[in-house]
Amino acid sequence: MKTEDIKFKQKASQRIYNDYMKRIKRATASLSKINQDDIYMEFNSHIFEAIQHKNEANELDSLLDIIEKLGSPEEVLKPLVADKKLEQATKTFNPVHVFNALVLNFTNGISYILFSILYLFLFGFVVLILAKIVNPSLVGLFMKKDSLSFFVLGIFNPQDMAKNQVTDVLGNWFIPVMFLSIIIFYFIITLLLKFKKSINQKTHS
Amino acid sequence: MNETFVANWKSQVKKGTLTFIILNVLKNNEYYGYELIEQIRKHTEIEIAEGTLYPLMNRLKTEDLVESKWVEQETGIPRKYYSLTDAGIETLAQMNIYWANLEKSIKKIIQ
Repeated sequence: MKTEDIKFKQKASQRIYNDYMKRIKRATASLSKINQDDIYMEFNSHIFEAIQHKNEANELDSLLDIIEKLGSPEEVLKPLVADKKLEQATKTFNPVHVFNALVLNFTNGISYILFSILYLFLFGFVVLILAKIVNPSLVGLFMKKDSLSFFVLGIFNPQDMAKNQVTDVLGNWFIPVMFLSIIIFYFIITLLLKFKKSINQKTHS
Repeated sequence: MNETFVANWKSQVKKGTLTFIILNVLKNNEYYGYELIEQIRKHTEIEIAEGTLYPLMNRLKTEDLVESKWVEQETGIPRKYYSLTDAGIETLAQMNIYWANLEKSIKKIIQ
């Protein structure tokens, strides 16, 4: 569905209105096109209906009054954008959306900080892959011979390797296994985020 | 009298009951955003920060208590009408029972 822009008689009113709508667009720019349009249309409708109801002689005065009551788009739309972004992130599993959602929700509780740390932890694996490429013999999953009791995932120097009688158990499989781990952990963490979101909604009601 | 305390308390009560009021306003009618604000104002004399209504309506939608639809207008500027879902009607009935009991208890205390 499309909406028309509101036409004003006074130039100043038109400019203020255009500026306000532009700010709405900017504040919602990170959302999907459908959500952007929905919010734009709803605020446009609000301003239009308010003007019709006011029926004041001075168009500029009533517009300023309406906009003041609505509040600044950046502030008012913040919770709405944060909510929508989180919906989008957990639906699409897109890392960019996940990142944006976490940033937007950062002030909404300690748990989002925790989630950020979990995602950050994934970078540890990426670093290990890079380290393996740079220094293949020193990086791996090291385990004590004939036992599962002791292992190091990461960088191990050769002297300690001999002293502890450990060997690299993954060898050339190291990079594929790390890569797969990243993907699996990513899905698990994002699923947890989704789960947390639905708990949130239940506790809100 | 501690005026600031009373003012803070009033604003907390308003904030806490706004969802409840919105659901009741939508009980028998569907309204678009601006109209909904007017109705709230008319029935309760509560002046809400108008922009905050829309994030709140979105929450109610994700909770599946409220649904919305866009309706084209001759003016070329469509309106988004909100109404209660079946779950919303049921939830509101529960809330109204709770409220009636609360009101009874409070009246007893106030006497």
